[in-house]
Amino acid sequence: MKPLKINFVKLLKGYESGWVGISPDFKQVLVWGKTLDEATKKAEKFNEKIYYFPSGESYSNFVGISDYGNNNRL
Amino acid sequence: MGIIIDYSPLPGLEKTGVLAPMIPVTFINGGYAFSTIALVDSGAEAGIISTVIADKLNIEWRKIPAKSGFSIGSNFRFRPVNINAQIYDHNFSLKINVIEGIFAFKCILGRNDLFKRARICFEGYKRQFEIVFREYN
Repeated sequence: MKPLKINFVKLLKGYESGWVGISPDFKQVLVWGKTLDEATKKAEKFNEKIYYFPSGESYSNFVGISDYGNNNRL
Repeated sequence: MGIIIDYSPLPGLEKTGVLAPMIPVTFINGGYAFSTIALVDSGAEAGIISTVIADKLNIEWRKIPAKSGFSIGSNFRFRPVNINAQIYDHNFSLKINVIEGIFAFKCILGRNDLFKRARICFEGYKRQFEIVFREYN
């Protein structure tokens, strides 16, 4: 069984605000909305399960990881 | 047999090498369901969702008396609710806290919910984690 991969850098590229709806294989963004309500409304035409994720968040200052640099690469 | 998930790259952290353990989850509250991708946080005592996610689950969180909580560096208001969750084929009920104004992660699963349902092995050297749900008779 291959590991599940969810690459938010690729998925959220070009989306700087709002919410996205991600396909069930986690390979593409199917819908975007300024708000979660807008995104879920746009997703009504899809029959598949859609995973919603905020697309305007910055994670660079999240506690515990903000001061990591290249020297801390695994 | 466990489920193996690669740690996820997140926007803004590309140059740091920092990756995050993230897991797809569907929350269910009566006839309402909402799917998102949660941070798996061994440092979180309990799971949290944002108010907008609670709204999508038709949780009337404003009617629930707020409690005060704290984490490193901040205080917050939370409202505990009981809902169900589905991760892959595993269904379980959990108490989760609705928190106002949270960022950057809108959904976190922690020790009192996900970690009580599964063995989770973080393998940072492989940049992945494995989750094995408990079998119940």
